Amino acid sequence: MDSFFYLVMFAGVVAGASTGLLGVYIVGMRMPFIGVCISHSAMAGTIYSILLGVNPVWGAAVFSALSSMSLAAIRPERSRLDANVALAILFNLMLGLTFLGIGLIKGSRSEVLGLLWGSLLFVRMSSVVTITTLGLVFIVFTILFNKELKVLLFSRTIASATGVHESFVYCLFLALCGLILAVNLPLVGGLMIFSLITCPAAAAYQICTGYRSVIFAATIFGAISALAGFLVSYYLNLPTGACIVIVSATIFAISASYRALRCQLN
Amino acid sequence: MTRGRISLSNVEVRTRGRISLSNVEVRWSDRSILAVEDMQIRQGEFVGIIGTNGAGKTTFLKVCCGLIRPNRGTVKLDGRDLAELNAWRKANFRKHIGYIPQAAEYNTELPFTLRELVAMGRTSVKALLRPLNKKDYEIVDNWIERLGLSERRSQTFRSLSGGEQQKALIARAMAQDPEILMLDEPCSNLDFNWKYQITEIIEQLHRETKVTVVMVSHETSLLPSDCSRIILLHEGKVLADGDVEEVFKSEALERAYQCRIETLKIAGRRYTINKSQA
Repeated sequence: MDSFFYLVMFAGVVAGASTGLLGVYIVGMRMPFIGVCISHSAMAGTIYSILLGVNPVWGAAVFSALSSMSLAAIRPERSRLDANVALAILFNLMLGLTFLGIGLIKGSRSEVLGLLWGSLLFVRMSSVVTITTLGLVFIVFTILFNKELKVLLFSRTIASATGVHESFVYCLFLALCGLILAVNLPLVGGLMIFSLITCPAAAAYQICTGYRSVIFAATIFGAISALAGFLVSYYLNLPTGACIVIVSATIFAISASYRALRCQLN
Repeated sequence: MTRGRISLSNVEVRTRGRISLSNVEVRWSDRSILAVEDMQIRQGEFVGIIGTNGAGKTTFLKVCCGLIRPNRGTVKLDGRDLAELNAWRKANFRKHIGYIPQAAEYNTELPFTLRELVAMGRTSVKALLRPLNKKDYEIVDNWIERLGLSERRSQTFRSLSGGEQQKALIARAMAQDPEILMLDEPCSNLDFNWKYQITEIIEQLHRETKVTVVMVSHETSLLPSDCSRIILLHEGKVLADGDVEEVFKSEALERAYQCRIETLKIAGRRYTINKSQA
């Protein structure tokens, strides 16, 4: 194996671990659609950056941060609009902008289409550094705001009513969520990064009996999904994003089966 | 001296926990779902909120703690208008509101242990970026013990029975050291024995801590004998507000429920019977 692929595997492990950890909160807050919505915003941002000739990471970061902030403005108890309906509208808008952007690109569209499926060839040392840094920032964030995040997971209504700085922590969380998805997009692909958020966390919630173990298991499952997905795609010459999705879904299926078996035995 | 309290030779007198509503209206599209002219809830009062489905009971509670901003009017907590405060200051001001919502508003499926859940009550009391310390966990353990949940301490919240979950939520709210305790149907979906136990606990806590309690209840029998005032809501309007005896004797109750009602008082609690069906 070429030494370049060791870099790719490292990037994959970090991307999988950080999105797996992110998923604990997104799945726990019962809003997995946030992930798909922000990832598509990042995709639209990347495409328009390519069109304008600026750094795609910046475009993805700006688009996903704007989407995150607009999602943070939706208050479940104040808005007449159901949060999931608002997410669906924003998702459709971003998907529309993405395909409009693809249509506007003249010449070869291979780089842009690669964003949909993800490609190993997008990985550079600089992007590995960015992915790792943001992953570490997110870990620090979860440690520093651990007590607030727990209440947010349990109930945003309780958090808000009882004086937890819920809006501030939620906005920070969504902003980091947008940034992590934006930098991981070229690796996993806009259409499939969603599975790295939901499957490892959902699998962890299936088999773990404690909050801390959910965090560790989701992070490890995310890393395994990305690494195994990369290896399968490398040796069988298959699309990377698709392989990662299938591995992560398999991990979920095994976890769900294990839980069902354990329930039957008890 | 603790925040909001004055200690007078071993007697703690609470000075916070007042709510006042003035000319408040909450509208949904063209429909008024809550309209309150003028209302004061005094420190240490136990107020029961009753009414039919859709009367505006939960909306009333959410308006009182600032979760819903009224379309007009002012809501004051301890003399401070919540609408005048920015999000950060409002959060600081609500640190001492213990709020127990209906089950649909919290996630019972997460693998939090009972101790972790009760410890959530200390979150708003501690500043951001400051983790809970030994003293916080002493307070948490004390409330777990006082509510008789010590044996369940390490169990997950989702594995507890409905009654134990309510006890845990009360312990969480009390660990916050609240000045106001707001409870939205704390006994819904519980069997009659648990309903009795939970209301007994709330009554005992009110007697011991002198915290202001605002409790929404569908069943009048669940309002403990300590409940000195009842607010009867109907279609978003206050139909009756006053002494328990007065409200139960008034015609307003029959108007709200649209049936003939007889009230029986057994062991300090009031049971309402639909006489139209008898």
